[in-house]
Amino acid sequence: MAKLLEGPAMGLFQKWGMRTPHHLVISDVGQLETLAAANAWMKECKMVVKAHEALGGRFKLGLVKLELDIEGVKKATKEILGRVVDGMKISQVIVAEMVEHEEEYYLAVKSTRDGAEILMAKFGGIEVEANWDKVVRTFITIGEKSTNKQLIDCAEKAGFSGPLAEKMAAFAHSLFDCYDNEDGQYVEINPLVLEKKSGELVALDAVTLLDGDARFRHPDWNFTFASEFGRAYTDAEKQIMEIDSRVKGSVKLIEIPGGEVALLPAGGGASVFYSDAVVNLGGTIANYSEYSGDPPGWAVQALTEKVCALQGIKHIIVGGAIANFTDVKVTFQGIIAGFHKAKSEGKLKGVKIWVRRGGPNEAIGLAAMRELESEGFDIEVFDRYTPLTDIVNMALGK
Amino acid sequence: MSIIADENTRVVILGGQAGINAAKRMGEFCHLVQKPFYVEAFVYPPDAGKSADVNVGSQIIPVPIYKTLDDAVKAHPSINTALIYIGANRAAASAIEAMDNQNIKSISMITEGVPEKDAKLLIRKAKETGKYLNGPSAIGIISPGKCRLGVIGGEYNNLILSKLYRPGSFGVLTKSGGLSNEIIWIISQFADGVTTAVGIGGDSYPVSDFVTYLEMFEKDRETKAVVIVGEMGGNLEEAAAEWFGAKPRRIKLIGVVAGFCQEKLPKGMKFGHAGAKEGAHGEGSARAKANALTKAGAIVPETFGALGPAIKKVYEDLKAVGQITEVEDTHPSELPQLPKRVEESVKAGEIMVEPLIKSTISDDRGEEPLYCGYAASELINAGYDIPHVIGLLWNKRLPTPKEAEVVRRIIMLSADHGPAVSGAFGTILAACAGINLPQAVAAGMIMIGPRFGGAVTDAATYFDYGLRNYPNDIPGFLAHMKKSVGPVPGIGHRVKSLKNPDKRVSELIAYVRRENLTVPHLDYALKVEAITTSKKDNLILNVDGCMGCVLLDMGYPVESLNGFFMLARTIGLIGHWIDQKRNNGRLIRLFNYLINYAVVPKKTVPPLKK
Repeated sequence: MAKLLEGPAMGLFQKWGMRTPHHLVISDVGQLETLAAANAWMKECKMVVKAHEALGGRFKLGLVKLELDIEGVKKATKEILGRVVDGMKISQVIVAEMVEHEEEYYLAVKSTRDGAEILMAKFGGIEVEANWDKVVRTFITIGEKSTNKQLIDCAEKAGFSGPLAEKMAAFAHSLFDCYDNEDGQYVEINPLVLEKKSGELVALDAVTLLDGDARFRHPDWNFTFASEFGRAYTDAEKQIMEIDSRVKGSVKLIEIPGGEVALLPAGGGASVFYSDAVVNLGGTIANYSEYSGDPPGWAVQALTEKVCALQGIKHIIVGGAIANFTDVKVTFQGIIAGFHKAKSEGKLKGVKIWVRRGGPNEAIGLAAMRELESEGFDIEVFDRYTPLTDIVNMALGK
Repeated sequence: MSIIADENTRVVILGGQAGINAAKRMGEFCHLVQKPFYVEAFVYPPDAGKSADVNVGSQIIPVPIYKTLDDAVKAHPSINTALIYIGANRAAASAIEAMDNQNIKSISMITEGVPEKDAKLLIRKAKETGKYLNGPSAIGIISPGKCRLGVIGGEYNNLILSKLYRPGSFGVLTKSGGLSNEIIWIISQFADGVTTAVGIGGDSYPVSDFVTYLEMFEKDRETKAVVIVGEMGGNLEEAAAEWFGAKPRRIKLIGVVAGFCQEKLPKGMKFGHAGAKEGAHGEGSARAKANALTKAGAIVPETFGALGPAIKKVYEDLKAVGQITEVEDTHPSELPQLPKRVEESVKAGEIMVEPLIKSTISDDRGEEPLYCGYAASELINAGYDIPHVIGLLWNKRLPTPKEAEVVRRIIMLSADHGPAVSGAFGTILAACAGINLPQAVAAGMIMIGPRFGGAVTDAATYFDYGLRNYPNDIPGFLAHMKKSVGPVPGIGHRVKSLKNPDKRVSELIAYVRRENLTVPHLDYALKVEAITTSKKDNLILNVDGCMGCVLLDMGYPVESLNGFFMLARTIGLIGHWIDQKRNNGRLIRLFNYLINYAVVPKKTVPPLKK
């Protein structure tokens, strides 16, 4: 799942024939003068400036400025660009036309196992959550297209009538085309508004989730994906994502500041059970990580170094199930090299390491881990005979 | 019994190296259960027509590789199962091809990163064709004692430890590949083992879902209980719960769900599996799934850690009511061991091997080569040079500084002798015919023999003979040579003479004299030269003879002496080849006027007699 920021999302909407407000993404306030000269709307319309980053609650943070003329836009842009929020520097803003409208609607396409659901509602914005049961749905089987009749029926059921129902159906048709052709997973327009001056529907704001795995068949996807949890990726996360994108297997990292238990487990499935075990026992996790698919030792080493650098950690859980084909010796050599490096940089003081693992070359890998004890690491090593998550109980003293 | 994979499973693997690696694991399994190998074909167009070798025990089985699935199935009509190891961009097309094939009933797609839209199209296709497709991102399927599809089960030792050589009473369904092995291990410890374990893959839309397999397990009388490992995201666990609760079921259901931590973590966080994500409105949470399973009557341990004891309790209960009878287990020592590679056995001291060759000069088994025990880098750092390496590798000792200097000079003096001589001309001829460097240099090397450059060893041999048998009787030596051998090797030159001496020879002799080296063979050869040149001006001691004597005086084995000329002249030959390439030398063809055509005139060909 991969989230798009507003700029690239609006670009896709336009590609599939949906109206969006005029907008521009800029990273330097100096660009505004030339852009204003070239874009008539920047002189004619009231505008909004928003931080163009994956941040939740932008309005509260003062990163959205409304009802601006070009001078106001310059001022707002200067104010927002370069601000540091949660350790992340804002490097882009989106400047968009404010669309005058009265009513707000809701339109979404959601992937399901057998196809997709189109969701419509005659109320949009914040009202939609409160009226969730009044949202009207229609289903389209995978591999099929929506029909005009189906969409008009749906719009009418949602309370639209006459030409507006037809406009709604046409817009829904375009949104479905966009979803279907761009490997969408979830596309939600909220609000969808009727522009006063043109009488046409315009998508004001949207959540656009695409399938990152389909990137290979979309050479025109010239955007990077944004994080989906309300903050931008940290440098460490970006570095691990970059490694993940070019190695066999996978390495993953999400930092959760303030946690005491760092996770360095193997396997997409087991890693979640380790997270569960920590949380279940009242512990706090400092990160979510996993490595799997027999990644090269150096990639696991890079992940280990990032995990060792997490602030305030007391434990590192090097857990894992019995691997099918991930080489325990090779991946553990990577982890051990990471531990050595971290120790030489003065990290890991007061941190206890807990190991449990099985799989190809498990005896050699575990023996190498045990040797760390004689080098002064605070480490306990267990094999397959200790149940998967028991090291978490031991670490947390339960 | 078992589901999907059994004794009748015959497999075609679509894909390259990853598929071959999986076939090797499957070969190990066949060795463990002592059953014939069931992978009959590969489909991999780049290698079509070749075969891939797979070990089953110590036997090597060549498995044919085909261009298309159709070709493979036509040649092997018993194939009924396809494994897909093809890249994400072409995996779905392969799966559709496999589903359209009459003979293929079930497919496992191991490929990771398949777009969701493709998986959903496969779900539709599977419904239309009535085929099973396990995956994408599936680790495989194993029915202990019968059949293994993919690498599920891990390495050989784990197959034994987890008792995968014989069936048990528990079915296993997991999204995670790593956890499938863990669950199998737990069941082998806490209960009697597994009927079939299926890793369905952690994507958002596994093509065959939990319910598909639960229905199969329900019909399989040997499966008494099923352990299901789910995680947040999607609704497959809810569907499984609904199926289980819909009516009384024969099988017991034990379920654990990962992802409770989500309640305490930032919303929208991404976990290891593509499918491990809550819906935008909270659907598919771990708690919702666990609740649904519990409500449907499944046994749902609160944590993964509680799973083992829960399985044990179900096992004990089933035993108590006579549904499961305890089996006496085979001791691991009675199971076939994986044959060791010769290297491992030698290391373990279990076998003796008659070596093929013996080497006394060089050893490259460590971090760097040792020349007669000395590490190459240490020699470099201690200031030694090429003549010392030659001394070590040819004569097994470090030469003295003066000896090293002699060798250095010999190499420098013999490196080349212009393009006209046999060796260089051979290389040039080859270079101009477009021949590559090693072969062109070899063409020049081939020329080294009795008439060109190859007289060093011979010269040394005969001067040594003379010194031993005619030390003070040069005429006697020459008479012997004339009578039994012919011209004295090392004496005589085509163009050089007393008046036009060979500077390479005078240089070498001057050095030897200046440094006061003891050179009895050279002294003897010079006495011979004094007599031969008195007979004819060009019967001088030539460079071969001079080198041979000096090197013999330094203790080099007589057989090694031609090597100095070869080594030195290789420098020249390489130079000539590069030179011709650089000049783009044209193909050489002899002009007619350079050939004496001593032939008969043209005649009529007589009719062939039958």
